[in-house]
Formats: sequence, structure tokens, C-alpha cells
Amino acid sequence: MKFLNNMTLGQYVPVDSQIHSLDPRSKIIATIVCLTGVFLVREPYGFLSWGLFFVLIVSVSRLPGSLIISSSRPVWILIAFTSVIHLFFTKGVPVFSWGILEITREGLDMAVRMGLRLLMLVLFAGFLTLTTSPTELADGLESLFSPLKRFGFPAHELAMMMTIALRFIPTLLNETERIMKAQIARGADLDRGGPLRRLRAFIPVLVPLFVIVFQRADDLATAMEARNYTGGEGRTRMYPLRWSVTDSGVLMLTLLFAIAVSLLEKRLMP
Amino acid sequence: MSITVRDLVHVYHPGTPLETKALNGVEFEAEKGKWVAVVGHTGSGKSTLAQHLNGLLLPSSGSVSIDGITIGPGEKSLRAVRQKVGLVFQYPEQQLFEETVFQEVAFGPKNWGFTPEEIKNEVEKSLAQVGIGPELFGANPFRLSGGQKRRVAIASVLSSRPDYLVLDEPTAGLDSSGKKQLLSLLVDLKSLGKGIVHVTHDMDLALGLADMVFVLDDGKSLLWGPPELILWELLERDIRGLVIPPLVRFAGRLRDLGFEVPLTWDPIRLAEAISGSRRK
Repeated sequence: MKFLNNMTLGQYVPVDSQIHSLDPRSKIIATIVCLTGVFLVREPYGFLSWGLFFVLIVSVSRLPGSLIISSSRPVWILIAFTSVIHLFFTKGVPVFSWGILEITREGLDMAVRMGLRLLMLVLFAGFLTLTTSPTELADGLESLFSPLKRFGFPAHELAMMMTIALRFIPTLLNETERIMKAQIARGADLDRGGPLRRLRAFIPVLVPLFVIVFQRADDLATAMEARNYTGGEGRTRMYPLRWSVTDSGVLMLTLLFAIAVSLLEKRLMP
Repeated sequence: MSITVRDLVHVYHPGTPLETKALNGVEFEAEKGKWVAVVGHTGSGKSTLAQHLNGLLLPSSGSVSIDGITIGPGEKSLRAVRQKVGLVFQYPEQQLFEETVFQEVAFGPKNWGFTPEEIKNEVEKSLAQVGIGPELFGANPFRLSGGQKRRVAIASVLSSRPDYLVLDEPTAGLDSSGKKQLLSLLVDLKSLGKGIVHVTHDMDLALGLADMVFVLDDGKSLLWGPPELILWELLERDIRGLVIPPLVRFAGRLRDLGFEVPLTWDPIRLAEAISGSRRK
């Protein structure tokens, strides 16, 4: 029985690096730029450039490459699935056929492209959460969304909910693991049989988990209220976000790189 | 017939930045009809050790065997071992999920493939053992009191007829009468021939009830012996996370002052010794 104590997708890994110490806002914006950039490229050169760019930032972040690969493992199936769907269901010039299955040149093209695109999306997004702590991330988002407060957008409340939700993921994983172990110790068989049997077998885990979640939520609400939490109004920060020259530099470089790659790719390909 | 742990090493998250060695060369033994207390500071590896005893965690290296069955990755040995060794987690009442007390306690025996009569017998016997009367068999476990929930949860482990019972801080969060009831239940189970492994940080309990005490420190076996021996060691040196019970300190001080009293955690024995030494 494999438990959930493996590294989860994009779990924050604190390392002392220049990427880790950037302002979360610059990292969030830069990630959006990268994601957009990845969606703009269509040709091998473009993907290659973004791939090299990713290798570069990973090496600056001092995170081991194996960690990046293993943390993206959960989505490989999804990526493979998408690729396969594109492979078989894109119409065009057939290059191979077997019964009703037909692979077309366009399908092959789409499969590779979509696969790479999704992979890069996951890698870049995962890289953001690997190098930014959940609290920083929420603070960054709150600050980025704060101009919308004027129109009644609950920036602080959303950020707080996100922080709490993220904060509780490891706790809930621990609780789930504990309950799973307890039920396995009582002879529960959680990983045998078809999907329906497995689902039924999970009831002994889900029921206690729900009870615990509601209890925790209740306790947390009481504890926050006891410390006079009333929402974002008039709340100050222990560590105010500080935008430095490096942040501006990093953001500018990313932006320039994204523009350059998209433009050059068009130029290189007739 | 015993649980035997040899040179047990357990590493969490191997190969990641979160890699930690929770157990490092642990040697441990528990016998049927004996009570072993496992003590140590928070993070010393007590719970990790407990989870090895019924194969929930597998050794990174070293071996764990129960009555001659060595725990390995194979499904068969694991199931056999898990029925032999009942594991009661901390706050076991949090595992309750069935609609009635009876069904809750029947969950284990059903999983092990007991016959309907066996199930009925075991459920009634275990609930009687923990002092839950038939009037509560149909009750919703979530509506019971805290102490009752705990006892139902323990009954739900007993009903699988384990030979050994491993309990991780079973008295945590109970009031003193609940604690007393639970401990006397464990004493009864021991006299019925079950092996008790009691993970605790309460030295009073460990010294007063156990036949053997096992002290873990930072994932390593530090001490292993009968309570008397552990007591002397405790007075000799500071052991992280272990507190000398006040009565033992009292007896120790009396001895320092020249009184001939035994070093004991038993108040009655100490009182008798004191009054005896005065009369002399």
C-alpha cells in the first residue's frame, strides 16, 4: 500500500536562492508571461527556447532537477491522454491506419504540440509554487488584486481563503493518511477490485475525514474570531512586500524573452 | 512467540530534500502476556516503530517478525500480521464511520472474513470487555460521549481477535476515570495472554504497569529493561523528554538523606517503608 506521503505537485521547497527571494508579485506576473509565451509558440525552435529558459531558471533556483520531474509526475497521465486524443481524432492526411484507427500528419503534429504545451504549463506553474511559499503567494495575489477592491472585489478575503486552503492541504493529507492506516490496520482493503468497489472501500476513510474537516474549520473560525479577526479592513502586515530593482529586472527580461521568442519564431519559419 | 525487531531502520521520503531517518538500528521485543512500554521524547520515533509492528510501514532495512512471520512487501504476510497485531492509533475515536456501534465493531472481523456467528460473538465479547452494554449496540457512534467513543474504537480493534495490541498514547485526552478504566482493561487483556505494547510519554504509567520498558532517543534504542532498572538510569542521568515521577524523586531524596526506603513509584509501598523505618 502506497501512502500519500510522497511529494505533492508543486509543494513549496524552501531553498536559499535568488528565485526564492524574489517578490512574489514579480514571480506571479513573470509566470503569467511565461505561460502566455508558451501558448504563443508553435514551432520546434519556440519550444526549444522555452525549454532552455526553464532549465536556466531551475538551475538558478538550485532545486534538484529530479525533484522537478518527480513533482510533475501526477500530470503525466493527463498529458499523455490529451496527446493520444489529439493523435487519433485530428483529421488530415493519413500516414498510418489500422482498422478504424487512423493517424494523420496533422494529428501527430497536434499531439506533440499539445503535449509539450501542457507539460510546459505544468512545469512553469509548478515552478512558481515550488519556489514561493503559500503565504507569499496569497500576499502577492492580494496585492495584485487590491486595485479591484474599489469595485467591491474581495481581494483580501480571497487571499485569506487561499492561504487557509493551502495551509490545510498538508494537514488534511496527514489526516487522510492516518485514517487510511487506521482502517487498514482494521483489515480494510483500499486498493483492490474495480473502481466501484474501491470507491465503496473508501467510505471508511471519507466519513471520518469529513468529520475532522468540519471540526477543524470550526476550531479555526473560533480561534480567528478569538483573536479579533474581522477581515482585511485596517489590517497591517508583519512583512510588507518589497519590490526591488531585481524584481523589475527579472520581469523585464522575462517579458523581452517572451516577445523575442514569439517574434523570432515567425521570422525563422517561412 | 513474540514480536521481534532487529536492526530496524526507517527513512521517510528517501531521495527528496525532506529525507529523514526516523529509526536507526532499533532492536525491540514484545511477548504474549507481557506489557512493554515504549517511551521517548516527541519525535523519537515511537509512532514510527508502532506502525512497523503490523506492517503499515515497511522497514527501509532490518527486519520485523511476528510469531515467526517476517514482514515483507507481500500482501499475504501483511494481512496475516495485521490481524495478529491490533493497532490502536492516537485518538482512535476519529476513525469511527459506521451507523451503529455494532457495525463499527464488526468492521474488522468482516474484513478478516469471520463467519456471521463469529462476528456476532466477537463484537459482543469485545464490547462487553470495554464496558459498553447491549443497550448501546444500536446507537450512532457519533452521538456517544468522548470516553465511550474511545472504548468503542478499542473494541473495534479487539474484535479482530489480535494476539498483540499496540496502543499509541491510548489515554491521551481522557479524564482520570476514563484513564483508569482503560488501563484496567489493558491489565485484563494482558492476563488473558495478549501482548501489550504501550506507546506513551507518561513515565508514571510506564513504570507502574509495564513488565519491560523500552526507551527510544532520536530513533535509536537507548534503554531496554524492567522498570526498576530504568528508574536507576533515570536518576543517574537526564534522558531527553522523560520526567522522573515526583514520588520517585521523593524516594530518591529520602535515600540521599539516609533513610532506608526502596526506590519506588508505588505510593503504598513507599508509605509502608517509611512507617516501618520509623518504628525501628
